[in-house]
Amino acid sequence: MALAALLLFPAALQGADNKAPAKFGEDYAGTATCQTCHEDLYKNFAQSPHKIVDADKRSSWKGHACESCHGPGAKHAGSVSPEDIRNPDKLTAVQTDRICMGCHLNQTTQSGRIQSSHMKDSVSCVTCHTIHADGPLGLVARAPEKVNKLCSGCHLQVMAQFQKPYRHKIPENAMTCVDCHNPHGSTRPAMGQTFAANEPGCIKCHGDKRGPFTFEHAPVRFEGCPTCHEAHGSVNPRMLVRHEVRLVCLECHANLAGVTKPAYAGVVPPAFHDLRSPQYQNCTVCHQKVHGSYVDRNLLK
Amino acid sequence: MKLLLGPGSRYRSFTVAARKGLLSRAREQAVLVLGLVFLVPLGAQTPPAPPPPAPTPAAASPVPSSETWFTGYIDLGNQWQPGVGGSYDTYRSIVNLGAGPKLTGADFTILDPKRRLFDRIRVRAYDWGDNPYESLHIFADKQGIYEFNAEYRRMAYFNDLPSYANPLLGTGVALDEQSFDTRRTIGSFTLDLFKGRTIAPYLGYDRDSSNGTGVTVFETSADTFAVPDALRDSTNLYRGGVHITRSRFHITLEEGGTTFKNDQNTYTATTSAPNPGNSPAPVFGQTLGLSGLLQDYGIRGTSIYSKAIITANPFSWLDLYGTFLYSAPQNNVNYNQYDNGNFVLLSQLLFYTSEQYLVTAAAKLPHTSANLGWEIRPVNRIRILQSWSTDRLHNAGSAGQADTLLGVGVSTSIINALQSTLATNYNQTDTNIIAELNRNVTVRGGYRYVWGNGNDAVLPAEGLLTVNRENIRQQIGMGAVTWRASQKFSLTGETEIGSSGGAYFRTSLYDYKKARALGRYRLSNSLQLSGTYNLIANSNPTLNANYKFLVHQESAQIAWNPAGKKYDFEGSYEHCAYHSQISYLVPQTLTSAESIYTEYCHTISGYFNGTYKGSKLAAGGSAVLTSGSRPTTYYQPVVKLSVPLRKDVGWFAEWRYYGFGEAFYTYEAFHAHLFITGLRLSR
Repeated sequence: MALAALLLFPAALQGADNKAPAKFGEDYAGTATCQTCHEDLYKNFAQSPHKIVDADKRSSWKGHACESCHGPGAKHAGSVSPEDIRNPDKLTAVQTDRICMGCHLNQTTQSGRIQSSHMKDSVSCVTCHTIHADGPLGLVARAPEKVNKLCSGCHLQVMAQFQKPYRHKIPENAMTCVDCHNPHGSTRPAMGQTFAANEPGCIKCHGDKRGPFTFEHAPVRFEGCPTCHEAHGSVNPRMLVRHEVRLVCLECHANLAGVTKPAYAGVVPPAFHDLRSPQYQNCTVCHQKVHGSYVDRNLLK
Repeated sequence: MKLLLGPGSRYRSFTVAARKGLLSRAREQAVLVLGLVFLVPLGAQTPPAPPPPAPTPAAASPVPSSETWFTGYIDLGNQWQPGVGGSYDTYRSIVNLGAGPKLTGADFTILDPKRRLFDRIRVRAYDWGDNPYESLHIFADKQGIYEFNAEYRRMAYFNDLPSYANPLLGTGVALDEQSFDTRRTIGSFTLDLFKGRTIAPYLGYDRDSSNGTGVTVFETSADTFAVPDALRDSTNLYRGGVHITRSRFHITLEEGGTTFKNDQNTYTATTSAPNPGNSPAPVFGQTLGLSGLLQDYGIRGTSIYSKAIITANPFSWLDLYGTFLYSAPQNNVNYNQYDNGNFVLLSQLLFYTSEQYLVTAAAKLPHTSANLGWEIRPVNRIRILQSWSTDRLHNAGSAGQADTLLGVGVSTSIINALQSTLATNYNQTDTNIIAELNRNVTVRGGYRYVWGNGNDAVLPAEGLLTVNRENIRQQIGMGAVTWRASQKFSLTGETEIGSSGGAYFRTSLYDYKKARALGRYRLSNSLQLSGTYNLIANSNPTLNANYKFLVHQESAQIAWNPAGKKYDFEGSYEHCAYHSQISYLVPQTLTSAESIYTEYCHTISGYFNGTYKGSKLAAGGSAVLTSGSRPTTYYQPVVKLSVPLRKDVGWFAEWRYYGFGEAFYTYEAFHAHLFITGLRLSR
């Protein structure tokens, strides 16, 4: 498809590209001119990380930081009309992102952008980042309470799941959504964070579940923790997906191997335990190393 | 648990230790290391535009001289917990807040006007004191030289639920035989150097450690015995890398490695009154029991990993993304087990009184992931996104087991050599076309194809089946629309429909539909409504599974923030419905049965904030009511009040209530009040 696109649309068809001009012409006003009327914004800007656009000698927008996003400002400076200046707030999400990506595309942060559902669903950078915000770290929420509030603004149902009793400690603000998810995109499902290059981000806090185990439990590797756990919250102990442990196990270990194709992993065992006995109603009483065992093929030790 | 255990109970020591654990917490800390290399096949790309000699005014100082060197606040106070009504163990498993002095929060910035060692240091700390989660974050930087991030957390993991893992519940003993009372410490430290320059190296160190106690089970052929458990593990991660950034491309190269150790052990001194275990009934006339046990897992592991990331936009209409990730963790195991008592090996009908079980094992898990993608913008309003990714994980393990059983006239050795493998190869291609139909409407259509295989085997074979081989094949269509009718109204909807020719597990996504919608409407400048809808419907009609799964969630939120007023309100409501149904064979009778799970939930949360003459009141909370397979209620109201006393000093007070109840496990219900009061010092 990429090749077809190249053939159909010659390189002359240019998209938006927010590169600085080789020389700033008369249509550019310069940051100092903007500051004259927008003193309050300038004060905030001078404390934000974006100040580097104006201050760094290597910046191609040096002295024109405001115009790096808002476009040439000389006409606006003369007319004072909002119609004569580009307002990213009124652009489409794609157009806004192109402005940001003009400087930020080539950064590690954006490496998962192609997989990001935020990007695909037109959630632009300024949905989370406040460009004119006050303070040295004000471009995006940093305090856990603010981060979680920001995410829950769209993910209402997820925040509701976190109100359930067995949960990760998001409502307590002991964790943030970005501890587990990378809002910029990730190679892992659900924009999950990673640990040690390509391992699930869960391992960062649950290192004892990392393995490798001599005897693995396949779901842990094949489909990950959500096979058995509701990561956001559950009414079931240990955030399990079922109210009884044995049903979590038996839905896969169903003793139905080879009945039909296709085959599924793990259908046999479990042996012939009598589930009427309380001893066998919670499989993890005996199969305690359910995440994988270093010692025992049946995950007993 | 405390009511049901007698003073002489062998489990009492764990209970007491668990309570002491609430008062005394452990400590941890950290250090650093590095690596790099790679070349870039992008020399032919357009060089960056040279910076123009712009006629700029002198840039203003980012730290105006009028600023104070310290801004922020520190909250110090005391927390009271008058007592827990109901199950204290469940309270600790869910809430676990204690009493005592605490640093409830701190968030401040220190500026160095002379910028000698740093420009600024920002510190955030929360919940230090007798709390189950304590955190500290420090950020320091000196512009153009370094940025330093440090994060430190201590989390209490307590879990002891009477209804969970309790084979003796019918006898009146409420002991969770898979309980634990541990404290996990997580530290993460990153030093970025020369950020913003063409070559910017960085170093990092992470540590994750845990220790504590618990109850676990010692498993023998005919009985299981609850025993005290000591848990201790730690992982150190060292990493270093470099960002190479030019105008048209960027490369990140990172090398790292980990060390891991896990020293879990169980120990019970030899006693004359043996532990009767979970099956006290005699076996062939003999009473089984555990008199003494030493179990020691000696796990040591290392790993290396490599990471290469590239992004580039060689032309204004083309963005490229590529990632290559490789990790290879490996572990070595020296397991020792010595137990004595009276046991039986059912497979040989062999009674024995002592056992020595030694296992030497190793496992290695090379894991390679890669993806390549591009975004093409052939015309201004159309984007084509394509990506390909693969994930290949191959674990190989081996174990040598030597089991020596001794008894009256018995001396038997069982030697086993086992090999295990587990591999999964996952591949995915994904194409999306995004078109902006006009200023207000953006549509997306896409297709994803997933294919791969997995296998899992332990040899020599034992029992019914020890080798699994599965294939996955999925074809998925995707569509989405974003409609921003005006600044006041927006609607986003997306759907995904998948069809499978194979799946790893009976409960995996097979033939499924996903749908999601988010709508927002600003009724006025002060009132906004939002709503979301989520649906996942999955079915696996194959005879082997006959699986049906349906979940839908509907949420609504109202935000009322009257302009110029000193109060606001935000409230939300969510309804959810889960239904899962799948057939399985009951092990003891081999008759077919249905596993049915249902959950219907109503979640309400709301917060009112008001300000009067500098005093602030926040009141609200949440309530969860569920019905279905595990009907549960959980109430968490909270009221906070803060009053300024002087310019830099304020008083705050907070009341919280936790009320938890379950229809089927009434003995796990609890309710508790918490009070916090203290002073805020701010500047």
